[in-house]
Amino acid sequence: MTDKQKYTGNDMIVTNDVDKIYPNGCHALKKVTTNIQRGEVVVIIGPSGSGKSTYLRTLNQLETISSGEIIVDGVKMYADDTNINKLRENIGMVFQSFNLFPHLSVRENVMLAPLKVAGRSKADVISEAEVLLTRVGLAEKMDIYPNQLSGGQQQRVAIARALAMKPDMMLFDEPTSALDPEMVGEVLDVMKSLAAEGMTMVVVTHEMGFANEVADRVLFMEDGVLLVDDIPENIFGKVTNHVRLQKFLSNIR
Amino acid sequence: MTVGGLMNEKTNKLKWHVLFIITIGLISAGIYSASQTINYKWQWHLVLPYIIDTSPIDIIAQEDANAAVNADGVITLTFDNGEPSRVISGADQVLISDGDLIFEGDLLARKEGIRSGVLIDGLYMTLKISVISLLFSIIIGLIAALMRISDNPFSKNLSVLYIEIIRGTPLLVQIFIVYFFLGTIFDLDRFTAGVVALSVFTGAYVAEILRSGIQSISAGQMEAARSLGMTYTKAMTYVILPQAFKRTLPPMAGQLINLIKDSSLVSVISITDLTKAGREVVSGSFATFEVWFTVAALYLVLTSTLSWGIQRIEKRLANNDR
Ligand SMILES: Nc1ncnc2c1ncn2[C@@H]1O[C@H](COP(=O)(O)OP(=O)(O)OP(=O)(O)O)[C@@H](O)[C@H]1O
Ligand SMILES: [Mg+2]
Repeated sequence: MTDKQKYTGNDMIVTNDVDKIYPNGCHALKKVTTNIQRGEVVVIIGPSGSGKSTYLRTLNQLETISSGEIIVDGVKMYADDTNINKLRENIGMVFQSFNLFPHLSVRENVMLAPLKVAGRSKADVISEAEVLLTRVGLAEKMDIYPNQLSGGQQQRVAIARALAMKPDMMLFDEPTSALDPEMVGEVLDVMKSLAAEGMTMVVVTHEMGFANEVADRVLFMEDGVLLVDDIPENIFGKVTNHVRLQKFLSNIR
Repeated sequence: MTVGGLMNEKTNKLKWHVLFIITIGLISAGIYSASQTINYKWQWHLVLPYIIDTSPIDIIAQEDANAAVNADGVITLTFDNGEPSRVISGADQVLISDGDLIFEGDLLARKEGIRSGVLIDGLYMTLKISVISLLFSIIIGLIAALMRISDNPFSKNLSVLYIEIIRGTPLLVQIFIVYFFLGTIFDLDRFTAGVVALSVFTGAYVAEILRSGIQSISAGQMEAARSLGMTYTKAMTYVILPQAFKRTLPPMAGQLINLIKDSSLVSVISITDLTKAGREVVSGSFATFEVWFTVAALYLVLTSTLSWGIQRIEKRLANNDR
């Protein structure tokens, strides 16, 4: 594992000895070290409270870290001259609770950041939004408001909204956990097509089928520690010699 | 529910409506007969000229001149100092004759006309001072609310201090302080002093309304906006504040109505608003009861128009989302 952590030009995200202690004293991440390659799909699994969300959120600095180092696309996140907003433009994020902007139509949700952050021309942004929404299967819903959409549709809009900034990597925090079972598939399908296109993805999920099928690598966390970092075959195969992981997986099934 | 049940409910409601109208009638009759016991003579017609002024308009000479009046009642003024002569036509009553020597201040003629009365002028002043104060109070309130929720202890403390001081002292006292203290130092006229006092006062309440509105927006909205690369300011401007404004519309409407009512206090620094106009009319007409009822009705017109307008806006926004 050690040579994996060295920064090579192909690393999209490097995290070295990342520690996170919340102001209330909760030690959520303990020396988490791993690299995510360009185009890699990494799935994070682990019991509730193990620090999965916290880790994911440190990757675009929605949470700051207490110590350690994070390098995104060659840029040190905590260097003095790093503009975190610029960095975030390149990192799309999808939340469990969608977090669409309820006061804006579907189309406007997708267009807001390209217009106000990237400063692209309105004509370009309109046609790009249409392309993106068609891609996630919502071309007919462009002019309605998020509250009129089903959960699955909302999450697909949220993915389109994140993609509108043309990011090089996407973070997903339990994107299907708030959905009715019959809507999980439509969201996973969009994510699979993204993975197939070579998007770098970090996905926190309880969908083991998705992890097994799509992930290049699976991280298993427990109590803020990255316990297992391996390919899915070794995680979900019949024999895994890791007791905690074994226990976690048997609880889920 | 059966059709019969529905009918029953309808007649039942109607009964209460009738009772309501009867009660209002009785209260009015009570007020009337109470005024009879003190021998009050209601003279509503005395109030009318103070609402719509139909008295003839005096046309007065601006400077000394020689007057010529022709058969059609057109006055021509010629001046000794060589200025071009002035023609006054359309007068309904000419009070000078042809060839008269005119001195500055002389009454030349009268013209029929309809003007707004003193009470309507006062209403306009109340509206004007309320609208201007409203704009400033929203700006002040927004700044104070943003400072209040900021992490910076300096901004936060400053805002808390402002809000506490304003909410802990009477508006009347604040108006006196602004007018006599700040007004003297900065040489403010009455109107400006009134606007300053009302905006600073209302701003503190607007700040608290906006703060609670902003904090009621789920944290996920800010996170989603920031994750797209927006700065804090952009996220506030395009994502948080539009939602917060909408959510705070009902309490804001209440505050706005309070502002209109509170503006009556500026009459103490001799701004001729609706209340001050009422006081002046009372001393001119002696129709005390009628004038104050009229003043109350005019305030009611302002405030109910406003709350109706805001309800319309709310309905329209509600159609969009949520
Ligand atoms: N804002 C916070 N302040 C304090 N403690 C927090 C905060 N957020 C998370 N924690 C704590 O940090 C630990 C890790 O939480 P985290 O949300 O990262 O877990 P998770 O693996 O995502 O769990 P879940 O599967 O339930 O989402 C937990 O003990 C949690 O209580
Ligand atoms: Mg989580």
